[in-house]
Amino acid sequence: MKVKNFIKDVGGASRVTKKRLETFASASPALESVDPIGEVSRAWHPGPIELVVTKITPACKTAKTIRFERTDGRKLPFFYAGQYIVLDFKIGESLISRPYSISSAPFEARADHPFVEITVRRSKGDGFICDYINDELKVGDVLTGTMGLGQFYYEPLRDAYHVVALAGGVGITPFASMAREVVNGTLDIDLTILYGSVSSDDIVMKEELEALDGVCDKLRIVHVLSGDEPGWTGEKGFLTAELIKKYSAEDTTYFICGPQVMYKFLHGEVAKLDVPARRVRFEVFGQVKDIAVYEGYPRGLRDETFELTVVRGISEVKIPAKACESIVVALERAGIRIETGCRSGECGFCRTKVLSGDYFVCPEGDGRREADKDFNYVHACAAYPLSDMKIKIPIL
Amino acid sequence: MKFYKDHYDVIVIGGALAGLSSALMLADKGLDVLVLERHNLPGGIATSFVRGGIEIEAALHEMMSIGPKENRLKVGKFFDDMGVDIDWLPVPECYHASLPGLEVTLHPGLERFSREIDEQVPGTYDKVLKLLKLCDTVFNSVNELSIHPMSKPQMLLKHEAFVKTAGYSTKEVLDTFDLPQKALDLLAPYWIYVGSGFSDLPFTIYSVLMADYVGYGSMIPKKLSHEMSLKMAERAEEMGVQIEYRQQVDKILVKKGKAYGVRTARGDEIYADYVISSAYPNKVYTSMIEPLTEVPAEATKMVNGRRLSLTAFSVILILDKPAEELNIKDYSIFRGDTMDTDVLYDNLAGLGPYRYLTCICHNYGNPGVTPEGTCSFSVTVLPRVDGWKTVKAEDYDRVKHEVARQLIDDMSEYFGVNLLDHVLECVIETPMTIAHYTGAWNGCIYGYAHTMEDHIVARLQTAEAERFIEGLEFAGAHAISGDGMGPAVTNGRKAAKNVLDDIAAKEAKR
Repeated sequence: MKVKNFIKDVGGASRVTKKRLETFASASPALESVDPIGEVSRAWHPGPIELVVTKITPACKTAKTIRFERTDGRKLPFFYAGQYIVLDFKIGESLISRPYSISSAPFEARADHPFVEITVRRSKGDGFICDYINDELKVGDVLTGTMGLGQFYYEPLRDAYHVVALAGGVGITPFASMAREVVNGTLDIDLTILYGSVSSDDIVMKEELEALDGVCDKLRIVHVLSGDEPGWTGEKGFLTAELIKKYSAEDTTYFICGPQVMYKFLHGEVAKLDVPARRVRFEVFGQVKDIAVYEGYPRGLRDETFELTVVRGISEVKIPAKACESIVVALERAGIRIETGCRSGECGFCRTKVLSGDYFVCPEGDGRREADKDFNYVHACAAYPLSDMKIKIPIL
Repeated sequence: MKFYKDHYDVIVIGGALAGLSSALMLADKGLDVLVLERHNLPGGIATSFVRGGIEIEAALHEMMSIGPKENRLKVGKFFDDMGVDIDWLPVPECYHASLPGLEVTLHPGLERFSREIDEQVPGTYDKVLKLLKLCDTVFNSVNELSIHPMSKPQMLLKHEAFVKTAGYSTKEVLDTFDLPQKALDLLAPYWIYVGSGFSDLPFTIYSVLMADYVGYGSMIPKKLSHEMSLKMAERAEEMGVQIEYRQQVDKILVKKGKAYGVRTARGDEIYADYVISSAYPNKVYTSMIEPLTEVPAEATKMVNGRRLSLTAFSVILILDKPAEELNIKDYSIFRGDTMDTDVLYDNLAGLGPYRYLTCICHNYGNPGVTPEGTCSFSVTVLPRVDGWKTVKAEDYDRVKHEVARQLIDDMSEYFGVNLLDHVLECVIETPMTIAHYTGAWNGCIYGYAHTMEDHIVARLQTAEAERFIEGLEFAGAHAISGDGMGPAVTNGRKAAKNVLDDIAAKEAKR
């Protein structure tokens, strides 16, 4: 048939239909479920996995390193050095999740004897789970974890080859992961870690870091002590702009992880460096200690407790919710599961619909989408009740 | 604790555009609907995410079939009718084509578009306009026939152009217009949004694409595609639809050839008269139907006989300079070293270097979408699933970065500006990313390839016979209207209409 004559052709629809039916008729009748792209996605992000504690070692006087393996012995998911794991705990009636930066390296999660480690410091009395991990957790304990989360990792298309890591206290953990990966030859960056501690016996993972330092010319670790210590010949004081500059290359990306007070200090110091905004990357802020100090938080409410109605599907329950604690904390205390990630308001894992009531959103790292704000969605880890409230959360 | 009712009229698997469109239409008719979505927000890939305090569009380039408020097109009218009030912004152009020997920006409107091609290739105005008008005629027929099917003699009477072009590929019909190569090149760039080479792409599909985009232009929601998805979900809930997030459906329960419910990963068994699945037929017929013995051999042969179409790979950059300072001058740029779509289609089967890139700078359609002094710029390639199926988990990161770098390097060379010197945020979306967030079979976002063997006209004619399991409908890119966010809405409506027609037929019998 000549194509030029298509304008006279009225049989096209029947022809293509016949062709389609013929194609199917000659197709294989075998039931094949082949989704390799989905399989790769699950190798990186399998969702919650069951982990067993296989080793606990002191990381300094006040911190411990916990090693986990999969209960089935399989390799752990792929991840980027600097990312975190969320661990779920059941303590009494409470169901609690916490994110911890992974201190072991990605290659160790895929090695012949695969494992993942976190390093956690005992708190000064306000860190319920930190203390639980240091005092109660033991070898053989089983818990679930979700890993390979967070945006705090080296991205070659964005970051400079020279990286200066600014760490404070237990904020060394993501950089320990990066350092191990650099030494292993699987992360191609030049990494200088400026690690601020109060005293030398306060340094978390001191021996592990010493073992890495000097092994490879792409990694150096510089301890900076803020306290007076007799005989200390290294760097002293805080991580000032002057000190940072001393260890910087012409084009450097700064990664910053440490306690909240350090973030506030370093925001000022980094500004003095006069580098483009794209060269500075802070890890998420973490749960704030006292929401009532923020501007806009109403006076005289912080000691109140409100009634929180929680809708899941067609069911509702009422639980107490303290004004000074996030909605996530109220749910966890009541033993109601809610998925959380960063617990800093950014990642949105705990995205929750507010059906009624007033609330306050923590201004540090409000990661909500604009349309979500319009429809009263909050990230429940960073939202605080200011009245009785009704919320809807996923059924978990 | 009881989270679900004992029974629903309809369970919709997947709360993306298709599933939500089904839910809206069914709720509008008073049906009791449950939507189960595996992610913790609606929309599938029609969504956004926040990085470094900046909200970033995940996927939408432009939404077709919306039209201005006073003259809505099919999809825009559906949103209006359902009370989904979206703040639409017009996309300022069709595209900037950067092709061998051509650098030109073309704008919507059949006459204007034809004139702009004529400026590049003098003497083509009449022919190009005639072609576009033919497309428009076929487009109107498709719209009408997809809602009101009619007999063949009637069709021939009222939809002559549609009938007479139905049996031909895009290439075959374009050849009859005898246009110079450059003009043909300028008429081809949108091909990627339907994703088959012209020698195998039904002209019917090309017509719909060109008439809609070129004739009427396109729109984007002001607060990104999440605004659209969320407003659909919110409106559906307002109309009584129950939407549950973080619920993955593992099984569709079938007994004696009829679907009667689903089971979720959490273990809930939920019952309904109808199930609408956004999950691919491949997944449904090979692992979701319980028991699998309920899957007829014809269904298996059908999925085996169809070819999966395109998936997506995007590098999304937030850059630390305004677009114009980086020589980015258009909302959308299509760049290729050839416009031979058959050659490009072969190229998409691999892992690069890719020869045809699609770039979007949202700031030109949506000023203020990023903070002052910055801009958003994405480079997308829409590869076939074939190449990406070969990537192993341990090579994934390397391959992803190699491809991303190629895309950025190519565009940097074009702009004469190294984009890598300006990256505030960089997000790489891959077929695996899509599979992770949506569960889409092999990360495929385009459903089945539009080919002469799997022709839209044939799909319409065999649709009835391919409803293999009673009470089970499909909505998504894998349904009749195929890929794209506009067609997703149409697919969702069609699935809902099937359910409504079925209920009406049963009632009539009684």
